[in-house]
Amino acid sequence: MRNHFTKLFALIAFLLFVSAPVWAHHGTALSYDTAHVWSTWATIVEFNYINPHPSMTFERTDRNGNVERWVAEGSNNPSQLARAGWTKSRSVEALKPGTKVKLYVATARAGGFVGVVMKIENEKGENLVGERTEITAVDLDGVPGGYQPGRDGGK
Amino acid sequence: MTNNSGVARFSRRAVGVLALTAVPAFLLVNSAVAQNAARMARNSSGDNAGPSDKDTRPYDKHDFNGLWARNPLPFNQPACPECRDNGPVSYGWFGDIPPLTPAGQKKFDMNHPSKGWEAGSKEALAHPNVAEGYRKAVPPGLGNDPEERCEPLGAMRLVVFSGGNAAMHIVQNKEVLIQRFEWTWDNREIWTDGRGAPKVEDYLPRYNGYSIGHWEGDTLVVKTVGLDDHQWVDAFGYPISDQAVFEERYERPTPNRLRVNLTLTDPLTYTRPWHSSTKVWALIPKEAMSLANWSGIVEDRCIPADQGAARELEERAIGKTK
Repeated sequence: MRNHFTKLFALIAFLLFVSAPVWAHHGTALSYDTAHVWSTWATIVEFNYINPHPSMTFERTDRNGNVERWVAEGSNNPSQLARAGWTKSRSVEALKPGTKVKLYVATARAGGFVGVVMKIENEKGENLVGERTEITAVDLDGVPGGYQPGRDGGK
Repeated sequence: MTNNSGVARFSRRAVGVLALTAVPAFLLVNSAVAQNAARMARNSSGDNAGPSDKDTRPYDKHDFNGLWARNPLPFNQPACPECRDNGPVSYGWFGDIPPLTPAGQKKFDMNHPSKGWEAGSKEALAHPNVAEGYRKAVPPGLGNDPEERCEPLGAMRLVVFSGGNAAMHIVQNKEVLIQRFEWTWDNREIWTDGRGAPKVEDYLPRYNGYSIGHWEGDTLVVKTVGLDDHQWVDAFGYPISDQAVFEERYERPTPNRLRVNLTLTDPLTYTRPWHSSTKVWALIPKEAMSLANWSGIVEDRCIPADQGAARELEERAIGKTK
Protein backbone atom coordinates (compact mmCIF):
# COMPACT_ATOMS: atom_id res chain seq x y z
CA MET A 1 0.00 0.00 0.00
CA ARG A 2 2.80 2.33 0.96
CA ASN A 3 4.63 1.65 -2.31
CA HIS A 4 1.45 2.25 -4.27
CA PHE A 5 0.90 5.49 -2.40
CA THR A 6 4.46 6.63 -2.94
CA LYS A 7 4.35 5.90 -6.68
CA LEU A 8 1.12 7.82 -7.08
CA PHE A 9 2.50 10.89 -5.46
CA ALA A 10 5.85 10.69 -7.16
CA LEU A 11 3.96 10.90 -10.44
CA ILE A 12 1.80 13.79 -9.22
CA ALA A 13 4.93 15.60 -8.09
CA PHE A 14 6.46 15.04 -11.51
CA LEU A 15 3.36 16.39 -13.21
CA LEU A 16 3.49 19.47 -11.02
CA PHE A 17 7.17 19.85 -11.83
CA VAL A 18 6.79 19.67 -15.59
CA SER A 19 3.87 22.07 -15.55
CA ALA A 20 5.55 24.67 -13.32
CA PRO A 21 6.14 27.69 -15.55
CA VAL A 22 8.47 29.69 -13.34
CA TRP A 23 11.72 29.47 -11.52
CA ALA A 24 11.63 30.10 -7.80
CA HIS A 25 14.25 32.45 -6.47
CA HIS A 26 15.34 29.84 -4.02
CA GLY A 27 15.08 26.12 -3.64
CA THR A 28 11.83 26.07 -1.70
CA ALA A 29 10.66 22.79 -3.15
CA LEU A 30 13.48 20.91 -1.45
CA SER A 31 12.44 22.02 2.03
CA TYR A 32 8.83 20.91 1.80
CA ASP A 33 7.02 17.74 0.90
CA THR A 34 5.72 18.99 -2.42
CA ALA A 35 4.90 15.44 -3.46
CA HIS A 36 1.96 15.52 -1.04
CA VAL A 37 0.06 18.74 -1.59
CA TRP A 38 -3.12 18.90 0.46
CA SER A 39 -5.86 21.45 0.96
CA THR A 40 -7.57 22.90 3.97
CA TRP A 41 -9.79 25.77 4.96
CA ALA A 42 -7.99 28.30 7.11
CA THR A 43 -8.15 31.81 8.50
CA ILE A 44 -5.43 34.34 7.75
CA VAL A 45 -3.68 35.69 10.85
CA GLU A 46 -0.90 37.61 9.13
CA PHE A 47 0.33 38.07 5.56
CA ASN A 48 3.57 39.78 4.52
CA TYR A 49 4.25 40.76 0.90
CA ILE A 50 8.05 40.41 0.96
CA ASN A 51 10.95 39.23 -1.15
CA PRO A 52 11.91 36.62 -2.12
CA HIS A 53 8.58 35.02 -1.17
CA PRO A 54 5.60 36.26 0.81
CA SER A 55 5.10 34.80 4.26
CA MET A 56 1.94 34.14 6.21
CA THR A 57 0.54 32.82 9.44
CA PHE A 58 -2.80 31.04 9.34
CA GLU A 59 -5.02 29.05 11.63
CA ARG A 60 -7.04 25.96 10.89
CA THR A 61 -9.36 24.01 13.13
CA ASP A 62 -9.30 20.24 13.16
CA ARG A 63 -12.35 18.07 13.54
CA ASN A 64 -11.78 17.85 17.28
CA GLY A 65 -12.01 21.60 17.62
CA ASN A 66 -8.31 22.13 18.16
CA VAL A 67 -6.86 25.23 16.52
CA GLU A 68 -3.55 24.84 14.75
CA ARG A 69 -1.44 27.90 14.00
CA TRP A 70 0.78 27.44 10.95
CA VAL A 71 3.60 29.54 9.51
CA ALA A 72 4.25 29.34 5.80
CA GLU A 73 5.84 30.96 2.80
CA GLY A 74 4.23 31.51 -0.56
CA SER A 75 5.59 29.91 -3.71
CA ASN A 76 5.52 33.02 -5.91
CA ASN A 77 7.84 36.01 -5.85
CA PRO A 78 6.33 39.51 -5.48
CA SER A 79 7.42 40.62 -8.95
CA GLN A 80 5.71 37.57 -10.46
CA LEU A 81 2.63 38.25 -8.38
CA ALA A 82 2.53 41.90 -9.36
CA ARG A 83 2.84 41.09 -13.05
CA ALA A 84 -0.01 38.64 -12.66
CA GLY A 85 -2.10 41.49 -11.25
CA TRP A 86 -1.50 40.71 -7.59
CA THR A 87 0.03 44.00 -6.54
CA LYS A 88 0.95 44.60 -2.92
CA SER A 89 -2.15 46.61 -2.08
CA ARG A 90 -4.48 44.12 -3.76
CA SER A 91 -2.76 41.13 -2.13
CA VAL A 92 -2.72 42.61 1.36
CA GLU A 93 -6.40 43.49 1.02
CA ALA A 94 -7.27 40.02 -0.27
CA LEU A 95 -5.48 38.33 2.64
CA LYS A 96 -6.19 40.67 5.49
CA PRO A 97 -6.38 39.10 8.96
CA GLY A 98 -9.56 37.14 9.52
CA THR A 99 -10.07 36.21 5.85
CA LYS A 100 -11.28 32.66 5.32
CA VAL A 101 -9.38 30.91 2.54
CA LYS A 102 -8.77 27.51 1.08
CA LEU A 103 -5.05 26.78 1.07
CA TYR A 104 -3.09 24.24 -0.94
CA VAL A 105 -0.20 23.33 1.30
CA ALA A 106 2.98 21.27 1.22
CA THR A 107 4.08 20.48 4.75
CA ALA A 108 7.66 20.94 5.89
CA ARG A 109 9.71 17.80 5.52
CA ALA A 110 10.40 17.84 9.22
CA GLY A 111 6.66 18.01 9.86
CA GLY A 112 4.92 20.28 12.30
CA PHE A 113 2.85 23.31 11.46
CA VAL A 114 5.24 24.73 8.87
CA GLY A 115 4.69 24.68 5.14
CA VAL A 116 4.68 26.33 1.76
CA VAL A 117 1.36 27.58 0.38
CA MET A 118 1.17 26.76 -3.30
CA LYS A 119 -2.30 28.05 -4.08
CA ILE A 120 -4.96 30.15 -2.36
CA GLU A 121 -8.68 30.30 -3.08
CA ASN A 122 -11.48 32.32 -1.57
CA GLU A 123 -14.88 30.99 -0.60
CA LYS A 124 -16.09 31.45 -4.18
CA GLY A 125 -13.29 29.24 -5.46
CA GLU A 126 -11.46 32.17 -7.05
CA ASN A 127 -7.67 32.20 -7.15
CA LEU A 128 -6.01 34.65 -4.74
CA VAL A 129 -2.47 36.07 -4.66
CA GLY A 130 -0.97 33.63 -7.08
CA GLU A 131 -0.69 32.85 -10.75
CA ARG A 132 -0.75 29.09 -10.52
CA THR A 133 -4.08 27.47 -11.08
CA GLU A 134 -3.16 23.97 -12.16
CA ILE A 135 -2.16 22.58 -8.76
CA THR A 136 -4.22 19.68 -7.52
CA ALA A 137 -4.34 18.47 -3.96
CA VAL A 138 -6.16 16.10 -1.68
CA ASP A 139 -8.65 17.63 0.72
CA LEU A 140 -7.55 17.10 4.32
CA ASP A 141 -9.71 19.78 5.87
CA GLY A 142 -10.26 18.94 9.52
CA VAL A 143 -7.59 16.22 9.62
CA PRO A 144 -5.29 16.98 12.55
CA GLY A 145 -1.96 18.24 11.26
CA GLY A 146 -3.09 17.95 7.65
CA TYR A 147 -0.49 15.83 5.90
CA GLN A 148 2.48 15.09 8.14
CA PRO A 149 5.43 13.44 6.33
CA GLY A 150 6.71 11.59 9.39
CA ARG A 151 3.27 10.26 10.30
CA ASP A 152 1.68 9.67 6.93
CA GLY A 153 4.71 8.64 4.89
CA GLY A 154 6.29 10.82 2.25
CA LYS A 155 9.91 11.80 1.96
CA MET B 1 -12.02 9.79 10.33
CA THR B 2 -8.70 8.34 11.39
CA ASN B 3 -5.35 9.43 10.01
CA ASN B 4 -5.18 6.24 7.99
CA SER B 5 -8.53 6.88 6.40
CA GLY B 6 -7.34 10.38 5.55
CA VAL B 7 -4.38 8.91 3.76
CA ALA B 8 -6.58 6.37 2.01
CA ARG B 9 -8.89 9.14 0.83
CA PHE B 10 -5.81 11.04 -0.27
CA SER B 11 -4.73 8.01 -2.30
CA ARG B 12 -8.15 7.33 -3.87
CA ARG B 13 -8.49 10.89 -5.04
CA ALA B 14 -4.99 10.76 -6.40
CA VAL B 15 -6.04 7.88 -8.63
CA GLY B 16 -8.75 10.09 -10.06
CA VAL B 17 -6.35 12.92 -10.63
CA LEU B 18 -3.95 10.58 -12.36
CA ALA B 19 -6.62 9.16 -14.59
CA LEU B 20 -7.40 12.64 -15.81
CA THR B 21 -3.82 13.82 -16.19
CA ALA B 22 -1.67 10.87 -17.13
CA VAL B 23 -2.37 10.78 -20.87
CA PRO B 24 -2.09 14.52 -21.54
CA ALA B 25 0.95 14.63 -19.29
CA PHE B 26 2.57 11.83 -21.24
CA LEU B 27 1.91 13.68 -24.48
CA LEU B 28 3.18 16.91 -22.94
CA VAL B 29 6.40 15.34 -21.74
CA ASN B 30 7.06 13.65 -25.05
CA SER B 31 6.33 16.87 -26.85
CA ALA B 32 8.74 18.67 -24.53
CA VAL B 33 11.41 16.08 -25.18
CA ALA B 34 10.96 16.48 -28.91
CA GLN B 35 11.09 20.25 -28.63
CA ASN B 36 14.23 20.02 -26.52
CA ALA B 37 15.86 17.83 -29.13
CA ALA B 38 14.90 20.30 -31.83
CA ARG B 39 16.28 23.21 -29.81
CA MET B 40 19.51 21.37 -29.17
CA ALA B 41 19.84 20.63 -32.86
CA ARG B 42 19.38 24.31 -33.64
CA ASN B 43 21.86 25.22 -30.94
CA SER B 44 24.49 22.97 -32.40
CA SER B 45 24.11 24.73 -35.72
CA GLY B 46 24.49 28.07 -33.96
CA ASP B 47 21.30 29.41 -35.49
CA ASN B 48 18.59 29.08 -32.92
CA ALA B 49 17.42 32.70 -32.68
CA GLY B 50 14.81 34.32 -34.78
CA PRO B 51 12.50 31.59 -36.01
CA SER B 52 9.60 32.74 -33.86
CA ASP B 53 10.12 36.43 -34.64
CA LYS B 54 8.42 37.23 -37.93
CA ASP B 55 8.96 40.99 -37.71
CA THR B 56 10.47 42.19 -40.99
CA ARG B 57 10.78 45.87 -40.14
CA PRO B 58 14.22 47.41 -40.61
CA TYR B 59 16.32 47.75 -37.46
CA ASP B 60 19.86 48.49 -36.31
CA LYS B 61 21.75 45.28 -35.55
CA HIS B 62 24.14 47.24 -33.32
CA ASP B 63 21.39 48.73 -31.16
CA PHE B 64 20.57 46.61 -28.09
CA ASN B 65 18.71 49.31 -26.19
CA GLY B 66 15.51 48.16 -24.60
CA LEU B 67 13.79 45.79 -22.23
CA TRP B 68 14.48 42.11 -22.76
CA ALA B 69 12.96 38.97 -21.28
CA ARG B 70 13.41 35.29 -21.92
CA ASN B 71 9.78 34.66 -21.17
CA PRO B 72 7.68 37.23 -23.04
CA LEU B 73 4.33 35.71 -22.07
CA PRO B 74 3.86 37.63 -18.78
CA PHE B 75 4.09 40.79 -20.87
CA ASN B 76 1.44 39.62 -23.32
CA GLN B 77 3.98 39.27 -26.09
CA PRO B 78 4.21 36.41 -28.61
CA ALA B 79 5.83 33.23 -27.32
CA CYS B 80 9.53 32.68 -27.85
CA PRO B 81 10.20 28.93 -27.75
CA GLU B 82 13.87 29.39 -28.54
CA CYS B 83 14.26 31.66 -25.50
CA ARG B 84 13.95 28.74 -23.13
CA ASP B 85 17.10 27.00 -22.03
CA ASN B 86 17.50 23.45 -23.24
CA GLY B 87 19.26 22.19 -20.13
CA PRO B 88 17.91 19.40 -17.97
CA VAL B 89 16.82 21.73 -15.17
CA SER B 90 15.57 25.28 -15.69
CA TYR B 91 17.93 28.19 -16.37
CA GLY B 92 21.71 27.77 -16.32
CA TRP B 93 24.93 27.99 -18.29
CA PHE B 94 24.60 24.46 -19.76
CA GLY B 95 26.48 23.50 -22.92
CA ASP B 96 29.32 20.99 -22.81
CA ILE B 97 30.70 21.09 -19.28
CA PRO B 98 34.45 20.44 -19.30
CA PRO B 99 36.15 18.21 -16.75
CA LEU B 100 37.27 20.05 -13.64
CA THR B 101 40.89 20.37 -12.60
CA PRO B 102 41.76 18.92 -9.16
CA ALA B 103 41.55 22.43 -7.69
CA GLY B 104 38.27 23.05 -9.46
CA GLN B 105 36.86 19.74 -8.31
CA LYS B 106 37.75 20.58 -4.71
CA LYS B 107 35.81 23.85 -4.92
CA PHE B 108 32.92 22.20 -6.71
CA ASP B 109 32.64 19.57 -4.00
CA MET B 110 32.36 22.30 -1.38
CA ASN B 111 29.45 23.95 -3.19
CA HIS B 112 26.00 22.70 -2.24
CA PRO B 113 23.32 24.11 -4.55
CA SER B 114 19.59 24.09 -3.87
CA LYS B 115 18.40 24.00 -7.45
CA GLY B 116 18.32 21.09 -9.81
CA TRP B 117 17.46 17.53 -8.92
CA GLU B 118 17.88 16.66 -5.29
CA ALA B 119 20.87 14.48 -4.49
CA GLY B 120 19.77 10.89 -4.18
CA SER B 121 16.29 11.59 -5.55
CA LYS B 122 14.65 9.38 -8.12
CA GLU B 123 15.18 12.04 -10.78
CA ALA B 124 18.87 12.28 -9.93
CA LEU B 125 19.33 8.52 -9.85
CA ALA B 126 17.47 8.16 -13.14
CA HIS B 127 19.96 10.47 -14.89
CA PRO B 128 23.42 9.18 -13.94
CA ASN B 129 24.93 10.57 -17.14
CA VAL B 130 23.70 14.11 -16.55
CA ALA B 131 26.38 16.43 -15.14
CA GLU B 132 26.72 16.16 -11.39
CA GLY B 133 25.87 19.81 -10.77
CA TYR B 134 22.32 19.27 -11.94
CA ARG B 135 21.69 16.38 -9.55
CA LYS B 136 23.32 17.34 -6.27
CA ALA B 137 20.78 19.80 -4.81
CA VAL B 138 20.10 19.95 -1.08
CA PRO B 139 17.42 21.89 0.82
CA PRO B 140 18.38 25.57 1.24
CA GLY B 141 18.77 25.07 4.97
CA LEU B 142 21.65 22.68 4.26
CA GLY B 143 23.13 24.41 1.22
CA ASN B 144 25.50 27.30 0.59
CA ASP B 145 24.19 28.85 -2.61
CA PRO B 146 25.20 32.54 -2.47
CA GLU B 147 21.77 33.47 -3.82
CA GLU B 148 20.10 31.93 -0.77
CA ARG B 149 22.04 34.40 1.39
CA CYS B 150 21.41 37.43 -0.81
CA GLU B 151 25.06 37.59 -1.82
CA PRO B 152 25.86 39.06 -5.25
CA LEU B 153 25.21 36.66 -8.10
CA GLY B 154 28.12 37.80 -10.25
CA ALA B 155 28.20 38.69 -13.93
CA MET B 156 27.90 35.20 -15.38
CA ARG B 157 24.98 34.17 -13.25
CA LEU B 158 23.21 37.47 -13.82
CA VAL B 159 23.43 36.97 -17.56
CA VAL B 160 22.31 33.34 -17.66
CA PHE B 161 19.44 33.93 -15.24
CA SER B 162 18.22 37.28 -16.48
CA GLY B 163 14.92 36.93 -18.17
CA GLY B 164 14.06 33.60 -16.59
CA ASN B 165 11.41 35.41 -14.71
CA ALA B 166 13.27 38.64 -14.19
CA ALA B 167 13.81 40.99 -17.09
CA MET B 168 16.93 42.83 -18.27
CA HIS B 169 17.22 46.45 -19.32
CA ILE B 170 19.99 47.53 -21.69
CA VAL B 171 21.05 51.15 -21.95
CA GLN B 172 23.62 51.71 -24.65
CA ASN B 173 25.56 54.49 -26.30
CA LYS B 174 28.74 54.50 -28.35
CA GLU B 175 30.99 54.40 -25.29
CA VAL B 176 29.31 52.01 -22.93
CA LEU B 177 26.54 49.44 -22.64
CA ILE B 178 24.87 49.04 -19.27
CA GLN B 179 22.97 45.89 -18.41
CA ARG B 180 20.46 46.31 -15.61
CA PHE B 181 19.14 43.16 -14.04
CA GLU B 182 15.77 43.01 -12.33
CA TRP B 183 16.52 40.14 -9.93
CA THR B 184 18.85 41.49 -7.23
CA TRP B 185 18.61 44.93 -8.93
CA ASP B 186 22.20 44.66 -10.10
CA ASN B 187 23.99 46.18 -13.08
CA ARG B 188 27.19 45.89 -15.04
CA GLU B 189 29.04 48.07 -17.50
CA ILE B 190 30.55 46.98 -20.80
CA TRP B 191 32.88 49.64 -22.10
CA THR B 192 33.07 50.01 -25.88
CA ASP B 193 35.24 53.14 -25.89
CA GLY B 194 38.34 51.30 -27.02
CA ARG B 195 39.99 50.92 -23.64
CA GLY B 196 42.01 47.81 -22.86
CA ALA B 197 41.58 45.33 -20.05
CA PRO B 198 42.80 46.38 -16.61
CA LYS B 199 46.20 45.28 -15.44
CA VAL B 200 45.45 41.96 -13.84
CA GLU B 201 48.15 42.46 -11.23
CA ASP B 202 46.54 45.72 -10.10
CA TYR B 203 42.84 45.06 -10.15
CA LEU B 204 40.59 44.34 -7.27
CA PRO B 205 38.34 41.44 -8.28
CA ARG B 206 34.70 42.42 -8.62
CA TYR B 207 31.60 40.31 -8.74
CA ASN B 208 30.75 41.70 -12.15
CA GLY B 209 34.37 42.02 -13.22
CA TYR B 210 35.75 44.49 -15.75
CA SER B 211 34.18 44.24 -19.19
CA ILE B 212 35.27 45.63 -22.54
CA GLY B 213 33.51 45.13 -25.85
CA HIS B 214 34.18 45.57 -29.55
CA TRP B 215 32.25 44.84 -32.73
CA GLU B 216 33.16 42.04 -35.11
CA GLY B 217 30.71 42.61 -37.93
CA ASP B 218 27.29 42.51 -36.28
CA THR B 219 28.56 40.67 -33.21
CA LEU B 220 29.42 42.51 -30.02
CA VAL B 221 32.29 40.58 -28.45
CA VAL B 222 32.66 41.20 -24.72
CA LYS B 223 35.59 40.12 -22.63
CA THR B 224 35.42 40.21 -18.84
CA VAL B 225 38.25 39.68 -16.38
CA GLY B 226 38.79 40.43 -12.71
CA LEU B 227 35.90 38.29 -11.49
CA ASP B 228 35.50 37.62 -7.78
CA ASP B 229 35.87 33.89 -7.22
CA HIS B 230 33.10 33.65 -4.60
CA GLN B 231 30.55 33.54 -7.40
CA TRP B 232 29.17 30.46 -9.07
CA VAL B 233 28.81 30.11 -12.84
CA ASP B 234 25.10 29.43 -12.40
CA ALA B 235 22.76 27.97 -9.80
CA PHE B 236 24.38 24.54 -9.85
CA GLY B 237 27.57 25.08 -7.89
CA TYR B 238 30.14 25.30 -10.67
CA PRO B 239 33.04 27.44 -9.40
CA ILE B 240 35.50 29.88 -10.98
CA SER B 241 38.90 31.22 -10.00
CA ASP B 242 39.86 34.89 -10.06
CA GLN B 243 41.80 34.12 -13.24
CA ALA B 244 38.62 33.28 -15.15
CA VAL B 245 37.98 35.01 -18.48
CA PHE B 246 34.34 35.39 -19.47
CA GLU B 247 33.56 35.99 -23.17
CA GLU B 248 30.14 36.90 -24.54
CA ARG B 249 29.18 37.19 -28.19
CA TYR B 250 25.95 39.15 -28.58
CA GLU B 251 23.87 39.46 -31.74
CA ARG B 252 20.48 40.86 -32.63
CA PRO B 253 19.46 38.49 -35.44
CA THR B 254 15.95 39.86 -35.85
CA PRO B 255 14.23 43.02 -34.58
CA ASN B 256 12.83 41.36 -31.48
CA ARG B 257 15.52 38.90 -30.48
CA LEU B 258 18.86 39.22 -28.72
CA ARG B 259 21.10 36.22 -28.37
CA VAL B 260 24.42 35.46 -26.77
CA ASN B 261 26.91 32.62 -26.73
CA LEU B 262 29.17 32.44 -23.69
CA THR B 263 32.62 30.99 -23.16
CA LEU B 264 34.35 30.56 -19.82
CA THR B 265 38.10 30.06 -19.94
CA ASP B 266 39.54 29.24 -16.54
CA PRO B 267 42.50 26.83 -16.64
CA LEU B 268 42.75 26.80 -12.85
CA THR B 269 39.24 25.35 -12.61
CA TYR B 270 38.41 23.65 -15.94
CA THR B 271 40.55 21.57 -18.26
CA ARG B 272 39.26 23.34 -21.36
CA PRO B 273 37.01 26.30 -22.23
CA TRP B 274 33.33 25.88 -21.42
CA HIS B 275 30.94 26.96 -24.17
CA SER B 276 27.37 27.62 -23.03
CA SER B 277 24.17 26.85 -24.80
CA THR B 278 22.80 29.87 -26.67
CA LYS B 279 20.72 32.31 -24.61
CA VAL B 280 17.94 34.22 -26.35
CA TRP B 281 15.82 37.14 -25.15
CA ALA B 282 12.70 38.71 -26.60
CA LEU B 283 12.31 42.47 -26.88
CA ILE B 284 9.48 43.74 -24.70
CA PRO B 285 7.85 47.06 -25.62
CA LYS B 286 8.18 49.59 -22.83
CA GLU B 287 4.44 50.01 -22.47
CA ALA B 288 4.03 46.24 -22.08
CA MET B 289 6.40 46.09 -19.10
CA SER B 290 4.51 48.24 -16.69
CA LEU B 291 3.49 47.98 -13.06
CA ALA B 292 1.75 50.62 -10.99
CA ASN B 293 1.61 52.75 -14.11
CA TRP B 294 5.43 52.74 -14.20
CA SER B 295 7.25 51.18 -17.15
CA GLY B 296 10.54 49.35 -16.83
CA ILE B 297 12.08 46.54 -14.82
CA VAL B 298 11.09 46.30 -11.19
CA GLU B 299 13.35 46.72 -8.19
CA ASP B 300 13.43 43.06 -7.24
CA ARG B 301 16.11 43.11 -4.59
CA CYS B 302 17.12 40.25 -2.38
CA ILE B 303 16.74 41.67 1.12
CA PRO B 304 18.95 39.92 3.69
CA ALA B 305 16.55 40.50 6.58
CA ASP B 306 13.63 39.04 4.66
CA GLN B 307 15.77 36.28 3.21
CA GLY B 308 16.96 35.50 6.74
CA ALA B 309 13.38 34.99 7.82
CA ALA B 310 12.76 32.69 4.88
CA ARG B 311 15.94 30.77 5.63
CA GLU B 312 14.91 30.37 9.25
CA LEU B 313 11.59 28.97 8.08
CA GLU B 314 13.32 26.57 5.73
CA GLU B 315 15.70 25.42 8.44
CA ARG B 316 12.65 24.67 10.55
CA ALA B 317 11.15 22.88 7.59
CA ILE B 318 13.94 20.33 7.50
CA GLY B 319 14.19 20.03 11.26
CA LYS B 320 17.49 21.88 11.57
CA THR B 321 16.00 24.31 14.06
CA LYS B 322 12.79 24.33 16.07
